[in-house]
Amino acid sequence: MQPFAYARPTTLAEAFSILQAYGRDARLLAGGTDLIIRLRDGTARPTIVVDVKRIPELRPAIRKEAGRLTISATTVMSEIASDERVRRHFVALAEAAAVVGAVQIRNRATLGGNICNASPAADTAPALLVYGADIVAVGSAGTRRIPITDFFVRSGQTTLQEGELVVAIELPLPSGPTGAVHLRRTRRRGHDLASVTLACLVDANGVTRLAFGSVGPRPVLSVDSSGVLADGAADDDAKAALLEEMFASASPSPGSMRASPEYRSAMLRLLGRRAVGTAVGRLAGG
Amino acid sequence: MIGRIGASPQRVGGRGRVTGLQQYVADIQLTDVLHAKLVTLACARGRIVSIDTSAAERVPGVRLVMTAADLPQPVPRFGPQFRDRPVLAIGETKYHGEPVAAVAADTKDAAEEAARLVKVEYQELPAVFTIEAALDPAAPLVQDADLRPGDKLATTNVLREHRVGWGDVEGTLADLIVENTYEFPMVTHFAIEPHAFMAAPDGEGIAVWSSIQHPSWLQKILAGILGLPLAKVRVYAPDPGGAFGGKQHAKYEPLVALMALRAGRPVRLVLTLEETFQAVRRASARINVRTGFHADGSFAFQDIAADYLIGAYADIADRVVGKGSYPGCGPYRVPAARIIARSVLSHTTPSTAFRGFGAPQVNWAVESNIDAGALALGIDRLELRLRNLARQGEAFIPFDTPADGHWELTVRRAAELIGWGTPLPPGRGRGIGVGIKSGPTTGLSYATVRLLADGSVIVYAGTSDMGQGARTILAQIASDELGAPLDWVAVVMGDTAVVPYDQQTSASRSTVLMGNAVLNACRDIQSRLRAMAARLEGIDPAEIVVEHGVVRLPGREVPIVDVLKPGLGRLGGELIGNGEMRKEGDPGHPLGGSAAFFEFNCTAIEAEVDSQTGDIVLVRHVTVSDVGKALNPLQVRMQDEGAAVMGLGHTLMEHYIFDEAGRIRNLGAIDYRIPTSMDLPLELLSDMVENEDGPGPYGSKGMSEGALLCVSAAVAGAVREATGAVIRDLPLTPERIWRSLQERRDG
Amino acid sequence: MATVPIDLTVNGRGRSLQVAPHHTLLDVLRDDLALTGAKECCLVGECGACTVIVDGRTVDSCLMLAVEADGALVTTIEGLAAGGRLTPIQEAFLDEGGVQCGFCIPGQVISAHALLEANPHPTRAEIEEGMAGNLCRCGCYQQIIEAILATVEAAHP
Ligand SMILES: Cc1cc2nc3c(=O)[nH]c(=O)nc-3n(C[C@H](O)[C@H](O)[C@H](O)COP(=O)(O)OP(=O)(O)OC[C@H]3O[C@@H](n4cnc5c(N)ncnc54)[C@H](O)[C@@H]3O)c2cc1C
Ligand code: FES
Ligand code: FES
Repeated sequence: MQPFAYARPTTLAEAFSILQAYGRDARLLAGGTDLIIRLRDGTARPTIVVDVKRIPELRPAIRKEAGRLTISATTVMSEIASDERVRRHFVALAEAAAVVGAVQIRNRATLGGNICNASPAADTAPALLVYGADIVAVGSAGTRRIPITDFFVRSGQTTLQEGELVVAIELPLPSGPTGAVHLRRTRRRGHDLASVTLACLVDANGVTRLAFGSVGPRPVLSVDSSGVLADGAADDDAKAALLEEMFASASPSPGSMRASPEYRSAMLRLLGRRAVGTAVGRLAGG
Repeated sequence: MIGRIGASPQRVGGRGRVTGLQQYVADIQLTDVLHAKLVTLACARGRIVSIDTSAAERVPGVRLVMTAADLPQPVPRFGPQFRDRPVLAIGETKYHGEPVAAVAADTKDAAEEAARLVKVEYQELPAVFTIEAALDPAAPLVQDADLRPGDKLATTNVLREHRVGWGDVEGTLADLIVENTYEFPMVTHFAIEPHAFMAAPDGEGIAVWSSIQHPSWLQKILAGILGLPLAKVRVYAPDPGGAFGGKQHAKYEPLVALMALRAGRPVRLVLTLEETFQAVRRASARINVRTGFHADGSFAFQDIAADYLIGAYADIADRVVGKGSYPGCGPYRVPAARIIARSVLSHTTPSTAFRGFGAPQVNWAVESNIDAGALALGIDRLELRLRNLARQGEAFIPFDTPADGHWELTVRRAAELIGWGTPLPPGRGRGIGVGIKSGPTTGLSYATVRLLADGSVIVYAGTSDMGQGARTILAQIASDELGAPLDWVAVVMGDTAVVPYDQQTSASRSTVLMGNAVLNACRDIQSRLRAMAARLEGIDPAEIVVEHGVVRLPGREVPIVDVLKPGLGRLGGELIGNGEMRKEGDPGHPLGGSAAFFEFNCTAIEAEVDSQTGDIVLVRHVTVSDVGKALNPLQVRMQDEGAAVMGLGHTLMEHYIFDEAGRIRNLGAIDYRIPTSMDLPLELLSDMVENEDGPGPYGSKGMSEGALLCVSAAVAGAVREATGAVIRDLPLTPERIWRSLQERRDG
Repeated sequence: MATVPIDLTVNGRGRSLQVAPHHTLLDVLRDDLALTGAKECCLVGECGACTVIVDGRTVDSCLMLAVEADGALVTTIEGLAAGGRLTPIQEAFLDEGGVQCGFCIPGQVISAHALLEANPHPTRAEIEEGMAGNLCRCGCYQQIIEAILATVEAAHP
């Protein structure tokens, strides 16, 4: 690893001033499970690494408050996967967090890091998309809430501005019963990066929200408000046509080592069908 | 704690391994050590135009920047089979990762930085990475023709062609001929311990530390390169952290030794996992099999043509090709056989020995082709195998050791454990494979055993314990023979200045060859004890028997110490025994010697396949080996189950992926997948057949590779039965299965 | 390169060190504290050979900067067998044959230990999942799982 300096701000203000002073030469560090690999392979070469874990606003916490669950940026996957409230209201997120790497990774990998790293394969992204999460970003200019649908740009790039950091992720609590699931494809059963990662949410009104990643430059949300997908009695062909439309934007990269575009496309559709089935079943099962 | 033969005591050396105190090469701290880092190019084949080391030399703490120009001229070349590998690339690199220079510095940081700063101007040259490309008449030559003077293949990329056979393949009539081509991928050892090397000037000589399987062989190679007598080259070989064949032969030891001599200080080089991918791998292979069957399922002939893609330097790869393909027809009665195997050079990582030593490749093809024949003939796959299987004593390879086991027992046991022939739920299938591998064709092991005055024992053996548990087995033998509790036996290994010569730790030989050497050393001590007892008792030695830790006198039996102590007398002292075990070669034999034993395994699989995704669930994996005698049944199980899991790796998920420049794209652990604890079969069952019919101590045979040999064919057979998909390329990824099922649906 | 002072507790012993910010916890344990039980293999968080416990949780020490461990309680494999007596899980690894070459074993033992601390009655599936971050190329998985099950069994007969 090439040398760099290290800062550990204990207030947001201190963090902003470091970010301001170093600009693009500063990199934020949360759990480091993405960043340290890049520091070692030389694809990230900051002059200073800014550890956000001791800023009070970012400290690991999951809070239930007025109509939403707020997960602070440095909450790690192990916490999210085992949190009762997440499991009750946001099961697809709990399932996604539970498959990020192996235990040692989940004990370090943060939710903020997973989305800020903006890998198309980020496993929590589809779940956050179907649940309509807001990303709470702060900068020296103040706080703004970025709808997750406006957050991802492409691999490694988000709409965060220079000098901004994510303090929390807010999830609106569902108003009625829902059924949801996270599914993915990997090359082995043990931990692996996904070649398709997908979440599905259906609600009592018959709205189906499907979000998927690793099949294009960024994770994408697609919504069926017609009620057809969630309707157990609906015609299979109609569902297939609808799914086809919802997945139209998927464009798996031909350069991937994990699987070919054809296979990924086929698996996306298959996982989509299976996820809808599971989500509908879970909704019915309460 | 008793170390009796046939018991399964805790592993000798286990305590250090569970407490973190066991020292592997990279854990050893030498004072004043310099850290080395290799300098490589970003392509496979690059012509080196110039190397500018000035910036690197200016990095504080850098003590040495070594290029080929700084080495003795001509730059020494070495290798176990051909002397083709230069200490550093000469003129051009031959594969991605081949070092063109190396730096040594006071700290790892300085070494890394300096390595980055060595400026190499180079020109990328056309290169070959596949069998087709390498065999193209217009292909660039991987090795200069003058490296192999007088060899008419020297102007091609075929390093050698190995032919064996018997009977008349062309003239034999068959009722059915099945011909197919199979592919086996390039895979790597992925020992969890990356290779580590150290060297330090040592008086007039040199001391070298290496995680090496063959310390004596390394000593010889180093002595040759450095122009030193063997006695001045001391090789320390701490137990390797996994080797699997990848640590048999010298890799960077010559470089590190030359650096240490030049710097006048110890130098250490610990490879990254990525660098190990560029240092060792298994040969990929394309195998064409033409099998002739009679209508009753008996074989008419086997006609096998195997091309193995080896790397840029031969290492031991050509021996792998010759020896691995040799038992290609399997343990069957085959009236006519022709096996042609070629080692094809390419601009890739030099392939080397890897558990199974070239046999898994051909086994995959031949066993799969046998399944294809059984299907076409409508004969049960197990039945067909049993019909053809050589019976004990049968010369199934006419000019080699006859079948040395009741192999049908092994096959039947595996079939029974998998429930062969019982009804299968939908979506499931079963497969069965039989594997055989020739044991060592030559061998020479010496052992020294000291029985100390208190009855404790020290065994000196040049074997490397890389996880197979040689320490435990050798200690058990000494414990059993000399009556010392197992924890009173110390086993000293891995120091050529202390332990006697051993040819090598490979081919599952150590229990048989070193085991016999230790046994002979113990017998040597026993005969001295007999003389001692005779003297003490005043009787004829012929009336005394010493065995299994006791001295049998007329009418009574006493522990060995009871004779030893009075026998040694007031000054104490000890008894020293020496043992030797030789397996002579035979110059007329195609492999230079007949097999000391055969490793025999039968693997059976039950699998469930999700036809929509291609996912395979291994419901049950059965592996049964003929081990002659299990000196330590738990260790047999560990070896067989470990080999089975490793076999699942190349069967289901492992393979190198290259880019156009010949770089391994999935270099390192992120995109090269090996099995995890979650990838185990739902049930993994191992069993063994023991008829005490092996050449090793107490009737044992070598084992530990067998359970890997036929995993692929057994899994593919199960997938075929479950889904109808026939796949001839490994690994059997879900995508390949899915594709094959798509094609069947479409077609 | 400027170093940073850190204070941490390793295996119950307080340590004050000067570390380079770009050195990982693994680097510092091995090179500065000569605790070579944690091993170096993949350096990308895949193999778990470098697993140690930081503040009660297992981490891959190759993916954690040493400076991040300032103030932390770290347990390495060397810290388990206090007073030279093997813990039940270490004994079980040996009894069940969970150790071949041993290179992955410090990480495996630490993970198994932490798994049982967090979940004293794991199912086989939970063990397989909980141990998936520790690769073993010798393929000791089956015996390691059995060692963990045997430890559970012995603690709660
Ligand atoms: C072995 C292994 C397996 C993995 N498996 C998976 C997997 O299965 N699924 C998956 O999705 N991911 C996986 N990952 C990737 C990684 O663990 C996750 O993306 C993780 O959530 C990243 O979080 P972190 O806290 O470690 O991020 P860091 O590495 O600390 O940071 C990642 C990026 O986000 C930025 N960042 C971090 N926090 C903030 C913040 N609060 N505000 C602004 N920017 C910030 C950093 O500057 C950096 O660019 C794996 C990684 C490894 C090493
Ligand atoms: S070395 Fe840290 S996970 Fe492999
Ligand atoms: S025991 Fe060798 S890698 Fe696990």
